[in-house]
Amino acid sequence: MGGEIEISIKNLNLWFGNFQALKNINIDIPKNAVTALIGPSGCGKSTFIKTLDRMNDLVDNVKFTGEVIYKGRNILDSDTDVVELRKEIGMVFQKPNPFPKSIFDNVVYGPRVHGIRDKKTLHEIAERSLKGAAIWDEVKDRLGESALRLSGGQQQRLCIARLLAVEPDVLLMDEPASALDPIATSKIEDLLHELKKNYTIVIVTHNMQQAARVSSRTAFFWLGEMVEYAPTIDLFERPQNKRTEDYVTGKFG
Amino acid sequence: MARNRFVRKLNELRRDVIDMGAITLQSVKDVLTALETSDTALAERVIVNDDLIDNFDRKIESQCVRLLALEQPIAKDLRIIATSFKMITDLERIGDWTVDIAEEIVTMEKPIHIPVSASKFNELVADVKSMVADSIETYAQGNVQLARGFETRDDKIDHLYKQIVNNMVNALAQGKCSTETVADVTSLLYIIRYLERISDHAVNIGNRVCYMEEGERRYLK
Repeated sequence: MGGEIEISIKNLNLWFGNFQALKNINIDIPKNAVTALIGPSGCGKSTFIKTLDRMNDLVDNVKFTGEVIYKGRNILDSDTDVVELRKEIGMVFQKPNPFPKSIFDNVVYGPRVHGIRDKKTLHEIAERSLKGAAIWDEVKDRLGESALRLSGGQQQRLCIARLLAVEPDVLLMDEPASALDPIATSKIEDLLHELKKNYTIVIVTHNMQQAARVSSRTAFFWLGEMVEYAPTIDLFERPQNKRTEDYVTGKFG
Repeated sequence: MARNRFVRKLNELRRDVIDMGAITLQSVKDVLTALETSDTALAERVIVNDDLIDNFDRKIESQCVRLLALEQPIAKDLRIIATSFKMITDLERIGDWTVDIAEEIVTMEKPIHIPVSASKFNELVADVKSMVADSIETYAQGNVQLARGFETRDDKIDHLYKQIVNNMVNALAQGKCSTETVADVTSLLYIIRYLERISDHAVNIGNRVCYMEEGERRYLK
């Protein structure tokens, strides 16, 4: 694959009760790149991404085997500090979910939780994070306003800024633009190209063209299996697996 | 199967490329018949019919652009469109070389006399004709096996071409051609050069079909 590996997933299996949602997944996620996960609804891609920051722990009856190696340790181990983990591996969701607080309070929420109180430091963090999420120019004069007054696209970038404020290494994005209009979507996509210089990004998307535009590698999931994982150009130009070909060309079923 | 409308349009595109290939092949056959039978009228018809090929070229080009813009094709669908988009330029160029041959025929003294070994010349003509026919066949059938043989066949055509050129130049040098026929021999030199170029375009088409079917690009050496 070339380049450094940020997260290495080995023989990952996951069950919800008796239902096996992930079947023997093996993927190396490259550092400072965008990796896209595609596949039909219910194929396991969101479950997979949630495994990377242990969000599936919140579901009853979940059990898993295998390894998710990040910074030399298996984050699936029971002694993993998931609060610390989620500081390093953050998640952006499909629907923007700002807190009903001011723009400023949203961005510095994480640093405050982690004990930073100094106003000047918090301001520096807010500015840096909002700039990093390409929303600073739009909100710098109204940081005290409620975040809920922002447009959907702005709210989503605010949520990304909120994530950047705790200085993570990895950004997980579960359909981050599916609730946004095309202009807001292209702002998020442009942002991904900027963010990948400093962060490792894993994005779940139903929009195949989006995967093609933003990612360097793409994985195709199908019924809990990872069918094909390849450089994005190869997956879209000459997929090796018939199921991938049928899915990406829209001739599934 | 989903995307029925798109699949139908893709099939229409392939049919149009095959139709364009068929009329291009007909022009190649006609111009070579005109050469063989010294038929000026047939050569002139080939010149006029080139408009049909050019019209197909423009029509298919816009079909490809529309499909790319509106359907965001991926994987083999994308390769079919990319191949068709490039292949029509090869066909259009074959059409142009055919016109160039026809124009030479029109100006030549009739009956046309071939001042070198007729068997080599006929072999070249037959080989080029079958290369063009087979190139269209490879596209229509996705026949990679057939396409893979093109470069070897083209090498043979190149070899024949060089032999015939040498023979003609020798004939000229040795004064075997009368003053009246020197111009015609020059025309024949042009004609075999055009035939050799037509064969190169057929090889291009074969390589493009390999890409369409297998996703690997091949290039003319």
